[in-house]
Amino acid sequence: MSMDTSTVDPTSGEYVASTMSDEVVIELVQVNKWYGEFHVLKDIALSVNKGERIVICGPSGSGKSTLIRCINRLEEHQAGDILVNGTALDTNVKNIDAIRRDVGMVFQSFNLFPHLTILENCTLAPIWVKGMPKAEAEKVAMQYLERVKIPEQAAKYPGQLSGGQQQRVAIARSLCMSPNIMLFDEPTSALDPEMISEVLDVMVGLAETGMTMLVVTHEMGFAKKVADRVIFMDQGEVVEQNTPDEFFNNPKSDRTKLFLSQILAH
Amino acid sequence: MADTTQSDVVFRPKPSLPPPPNTVGVVGWLRKNLFGGPVDTILTIVGAWLIFTLFYSLYEYGIANAVWTANSYRECLDTVLPNGEKVGHNGACWAGVGVWMNQYIYGRYPDEEQWRIQLALALLVLWLLPFWLPKVEAKIQTGLSCVLTFPFLAAHLFLGGEASIFLMITSSIALALFIAVWLNVITSYAMNKSIGKVLVGVSGMADKDDRLHKYVLMAGFALLLVMSLIYVSSWDLPEVTTQAWGGLFLTLTISGIAIASALPSGVVLALGRRSKMPVIRVFCTVWIEMFRSVPLITILFMAVTMMPLFLPVALNPDKLVMVIVAVCIFASAYMAEIVRGGLQAISKGQYEAAQALGLNYWKMMTFIVMPQALKLMIPNIVGNFIGLLKDTTLVSIIGLYDILLMVKASGQDPNWLGLHSEPLLFAAGVFFIICFAMSKYSQHLERTIAGGYGRR
Repeated sequence: MSMDTSTVDPTSGEYVASTMSDEVVIELVQVNKWYGEFHVLKDIALSVNKGERIVICGPSGSGKSTLIRCINRLEEHQAGDILVNGTALDTNVKNIDAIRRDVGMVFQSFNLFPHLTILENCTLAPIWVKGMPKAEAEKVAMQYLERVKIPEQAAKYPGQLSGGQQQRVAIARSLCMSPNIMLFDEPTSALDPEMISEVLDVMVGLAETGMTMLVVTHEMGFAKKVADRVIFMDQGEVVEQNTPDEFFNNPKSDRTKLFLSQILAH
Repeated sequence: MADTTQSDVVFRPKPSLPPPPNTVGVVGWLRKNLFGGPVDTILTIVGAWLIFTLFYSLYEYGIANAVWTANSYRECLDTVLPNGEKVGHNGACWAGVGVWMNQYIYGRYPDEEQWRIQLALALLVLWLLPFWLPKVEAKIQTGLSCVLTFPFLAAHLFLGGEASIFLMITSSIALALFIAVWLNVITSYAMNKSIGKVLVGVSGMADKDDRLHKYVLMAGFALLLVMSLIYVSSWDLPEVTTQAWGGLFLTLTISGIAIASALPSGVVLALGRRSKMPVIRVFCTVWIEMFRSVPLITILFMAVTMMPLFLPVALNPDKLVMVIVAVCIFASAYMAEIVRGGLQAISKGQYEAAQALGLNYWKMMTFIVMPQALKLMIPNIVGNFIGLLKDTTLVSIIGLYDILLMVKASGQDPNWLGLHSEPLLFAAGVFFIICFAMSKYSQHLERTIAGGYGRR
């Protein structure tokens, strides 16, 4: 559970050792989704092992955000099956609630609750969803705030923090529910360049603890350092998936090659 | 190349000088705002003259030439001023207002029973006082208990007579809750503990689990309830029918109940209108659009003339009850749209973050969406409350003696025939004080609550 990565540039350096096991925690079978007439996810099949770290990339509008938002039912899929921790996602509210308790999510725009302090942001769900006593919830929250290195901001409101700090709070808030899967929806896209590394630091630290992570991001350095598998999506399909090594150095599809040439050009 | 690391040029900032004397302080303010140029100067002088004459004539009418003691309006008019002239219509006849003051406030409520109204008012103030006591916890429970049960206790007090079983029980619950609230205040200040913890401690169950604690609290409250039930049933209050209720007391009763019910019913209707369930959504939409599109006076007429025709005779609905129900329905429709507007201002991300954390619909609404939406809605809500308070004067048209009809009635008293302006001025003053206080309080509320947002 060491978090001493602050001095390491997260986009370079040693590859974080894999923590993947054989147990499958997320299983998507032939998942299809439409927004009205628009076919946004086409026959997605994906299986994620416990402790696996997956980076999903692709051009905007390729369906990568929609895909991970389907996993905790922020979006509803219309065909196919999604199983999370062995529980099928269907219209059963109990199943949805159970899955959401185990799946944390970090958003592009942080989505902290502006009317609550940082500490309250972190303790609200443990208290009201898990029924944890307030004192214990606060203790847990402070532990996670220390892990993301902002315990001193606990009494402040989100509006008083920088973007990078807010995103780290958002990560801590999710972790307070002790999820076994974390979804990241472009966590660094709304941040200034200087703040990106402080958030990636925290995410690298999280990867070291063996968390199952699905990360939608354009941070290819992070993918190289942390990912067990990189998935490239376009037009609602998985075009290619491979280990970061193979993916970056030996892409198979011409679409992948074009994408990589564009994002790695500068 | 020149050595640039050792610089010969040292930057010294110029010292700050004071600003020109004409631009700051009182003189600066006057020059900027009142005497900025020839036109400004003329406007300032004309404006000052207008304000002075208006206030001076008001002072002459209302204070200098006013008559404070007289036995009839004629006597007022004939009072001789120090300069030898009669007052006539150049001075206010506050004497008449003074004589009728009791009716303006209590209507025709018997003098010897008016302590009941005063007692209810005192109870209300005391009930809400813990809100401003920092040491007392459970503020939401305090407020809810007051809003939900105080009206019944007050109704029982105001009506008196043979109370129905329903009023007997509800007012006992109210009394028990009131006592519980104040026991909590006392223990919070005397022992730094809530009443619940004290009770659990006394019962010796402090080390037992939470369920036992709940039983202890329930037993304590049951005991309190039985005691207040015995006490309330021993009341022997003469009956005062709603026909005798009137004046400011009636105005505040109707608008108070409407205001207290408007927010909860508005929230329910607004959530219903946004619901995904078609039946609920259509019902709420129809309710809101129907009652919002009809003038209040129409709803009032419907309530007092038509509704009794549809209801069974045995129910014998009281006119005042029908009016209160009508005003509440009207208020709920307006409030629903205010709440819906507030809800729409909350970004989708807030809903998603709450859902992703596993909060269900009601918890998401209670802890995340509503608190933020309500803050945004405060100006609108208070504006609506002020409008509601003033709208209740419409009940005078259907013959309820609220403050406005009482004011008119005093001008028809044989002794005070023709006394119209002064009572109306008095009523205007009363409304202004209440509404202005509400407005100021809402601004204070906005400032203190908005503090939480910090920089955004």
